[in-house]
Amino acid sequence: MTRILLLEDDAGTATEILLELAAAGHEALHRSTLAGAGEAMRESAIDAMIVDRQLPDGDGLDLIAALRAEGRRTPALVLSALGSLDDRVRGLRAGGDDYLPKPFALVELVARLEALLRRPEEGRATRLIVGPLDLDLLGGTATRAGRSLGLLPRELKLLDYLARRPGRIVTRSMLLQDVWGYTFEPNSNVVDVHMGRLRRKVDGDGEPALIRNVRGQGYVFDVPG
Amino acid sequence: MFRADPVARTGWRWGGALAAMLVFQSLVLTAIFWGFANDNHRRAIEHGLADDCTFFALTPSEERPEELRERLSRDIHREQFLALFDPRGRLIAGNVARLPAASGVGRSIVAAVAPTELPGRTSDVARLTVCAMPDGTRLLTGVDLDDAEEALRLVWRSLLLALVPGLLLALGVGLMLGRRAARQVDAVRRLTARIVAGDLRERLPVGRRPDSVGLLWAQVNAMLDRLQLLVADVRGIGDDIAHQLRTPLTRLRAGLERGLREAGDPRAFAAVIERALAEIDSLLGVVAALLRLRELEDHERRSRFAAVDLARLIEDACDLHRPLAEDRGIALLCQVRAAATVRGDASLLMEAVANLIDNAIKFGPAPGKVTVALDRDDAGVTVTVGDEGTGVAAAERALVTQRFYRGRGAIRGTGLGLALVKAIADLHGFTLRFAERGSAAQLVCTEKAEPLIPLV
Repeated sequence: MTRILLLEDDAGTATEILLELAAAGHEALHRSTLAGAGEAMRESAIDAMIVDRQLPDGDGLDLIAALRAEGRRTPALVLSALGSLDDRVRGLRAGGDDYLPKPFALVELVARLEALLRRPEEGRATRLIVGPLDLDLLGGTATRAGRSLGLLPRELKLLDYLARRPGRIVTRSMLLQDVWGYTFEPNSNVVDVHMGRLRRKVDGDGEPALIRNVRGQGYVFDVPG
Repeated sequence: MFRADPVARTGWRWGGALAAMLVFQSLVLTAIFWGFANDNHRRAIEHGLADDCTFFALTPSEERPEELRERLSRDIHREQFLALFDPRGRLIAGNVARLPAASGVGRSIVAAVAPTELPGRTSDVARLTVCAMPDGTRLLTGVDLDDAEEALRLVWRSLLLALVPGLLLALGVGLMLGRRAARQVDAVRRLTARIVAGDLRERLPVGRRPDSVGLLWAQVNAMLDRLQLLVADVRGIGDDIAHQLRTPLTRLRAGLERGLREAGDPRAFAAVIERALAEIDSLLGVVAALLRLRELEDHERRSRFAAVDLARLIEDACDLHRPLAEDRGIALLCQVRAAATVRGDASLLMEAVANLIDNAIKFGPAPGKVTVALDRDDAGVTVTVGDEGTGVAAAERALVTQRFYRGRGAIRGTGLGLALVKAIADLHGFTLRFAERGSAAQLVCTEKAEPLIPLV
C-alpha cells in the first residue's frame, strides 16, 4: 500500500479525491494548508503527493520547491484551477512531476498519480517481452506469439507505452502527451481511432484481449495469466 | 444663493478673478502714471527755481528789487512767487508777505505761503526754495501748485471712473466664460452619470466646426463607441455562453429525471449516469475552451515560446489524424514542401492545425481527400489545410471565427474550434485566412512577423 499526501483546501474536492484514492487502494493523508503539509512530509513516509496551487497560506509549488531544495524526490502531481499551459510549465519547473488542470476527471488523477508512483525506466531497454508480446524497438517490429503484428512506428510506440504500464489505466491525454508529445484536448476521438487499430492488430481472432478499453476512462494493458 | 449651484459658483469665480485682475492692472497703471507725472513736474519746477536763484545772485544787489518787480509784472498767470527778504526776514520786495517757517536750503519744499497780491487769499500752497544772496538778503522763489495738482487729480479721477465699466465688463465676461465652462463640464458630468447608471448610448454634442473642447468631446464619443461595442461583445458572449450551456443542461436534467423515474436495475442506472457524465464532460469542454480562448487573447503566453519545427508538427498532425480520416473514407495527404522553424508553442500550434484538419475531415466530402501542406515563399510560411468541399462561403468567413458560430448546419462540436484557431494564430502573429476558391484554410506566418526564426 502506498501513502499519498493530498494538499487541497477545498473540502468537497478533497473528499472526492480521498474516496477515489481509497477505492484505488491507496492510503491518503489530507492536509489543507502548506504548513500542515510540510509537517506531514517531515513526520510520515510519503510515497507521492497531490498538491493544489492556491492555498490559504501560499502556493503549493512553494512546498514542492522547498522539498526539492532539501533533496527529496517524492513525486508530485500539481493540481490547479489556473489551467493554462504557462502554469503547467511553471509547475513542472518548480519540481512538480505532472500537472493536472481543474476540472479533471478523478480517473485521470489516479491514472497520472499511479504513473508517477511506478515510473517505468523508459528508453533504456530496446527489447520488451511481456507475456506473448515481443517488442523490438530498435528493429521496429513486434510479434505476438511469433505472429508479426505489422505495426506502424507510432503504433509500436503506443504498445510500448501501454506494455510498460501493465494493469494500470492509461488515459487519452496521457497518450497524447507522452507518445505524441503534445498537450491539448482534441475535439475528435483521434486517439481512440489509433487505439482501435492497434487493438485489432494486437488482439487477433480467438486470442485473449491484451488491451482493454475502460469506457469513458482510458485503456488498460492486461498481462495475460 | 449661488453657493448651492456649482454652475453659478464657477461663473462668479471666473468673473471675480477677471475683475480682480483688471482692478490690479488699473491700480498699477495709475500708480506708475502718477509716479512719473509727479516726478517730471517736480523736476521741471526745481530747475526753474534753481535758475531764478542763480539769476538773482548774479544781479547786482541794488538792481534786484527792480528786476524782481519786473519779473512779477511779466507773470500774467500769477503763478510765480518771488520775494526778497533782508537778513532779519523783513520783506524788501515781492508778492510773499513772509518767509515760511520751514525752509530747506538748496532743496525745494512744498509749503504754505502768504501771498500779498492775490485778492481774497491769505494762504496758498507752493513749491518753493529760499536761497541766500551774496549780500546777506534771501530770495524766495516758488510756483503755485494749484493747477498742476488739479491736472493730476483729474487724471486720477478719470482712471477711477474708467475702472467702473471695466470692472462691470470683467465681471460680466467672467460670469459668461465661467458659465460656459461650467456648462461644458456639467454636460460631461451628466453623461458620465448616465454611463455609470448603465446607459452607453448617450453622446456629447460636437459642432460642425469644433474647438479644442469639441475635439475632446469627439474623442470621448469615440471612446464611448468603442466601449459600447466591447460591452455589447461581452454581453453577447455572456448570452452565448448562457445559451450554449442551457441546452445541454436541460438535456442533462431531463435525462437524469427520466432515469430516476424509469430505470429499474443497476445496469439501467449505470447507463443513465454514463450519459450524464458524457453530457457533463462536453459542458466542461465548452467551459475549458472558453477559458482557453480568454487566456489566449491575453497574449501573455509568448514568454514561453520556443522554436517549433513546423515540418515535424505537420507530419505529427497528419500521423495523428490519418486513421480518423481513413475511417471516414478520406485520404489525408501530407505535403511538406519546405522546412520552417517558428517561435511558438508546439501544443497550441498542434491544436490549431488539428482543429483545421478535424474540420476538413468533418465537412469535406467522403470519399475524398484532405491535403495538409507546408509551403514557404518570399512572403513567408503557409500551412494550408484543404478539402474537396465547397469551403467557407465568403459571407461566412468573418463569422466562423466568432465564438459559438456554427456554419452549414454543423451540429457536432462546441462552435469554438475556429475561434480557438484564430486566437492561437493571433497569439503567434499568424494570420488565419480562407481560400478564395475551393475549400482551404490557411495559417500564414509572414517573414515580417517577429516569431519567424531564420533557417540555419
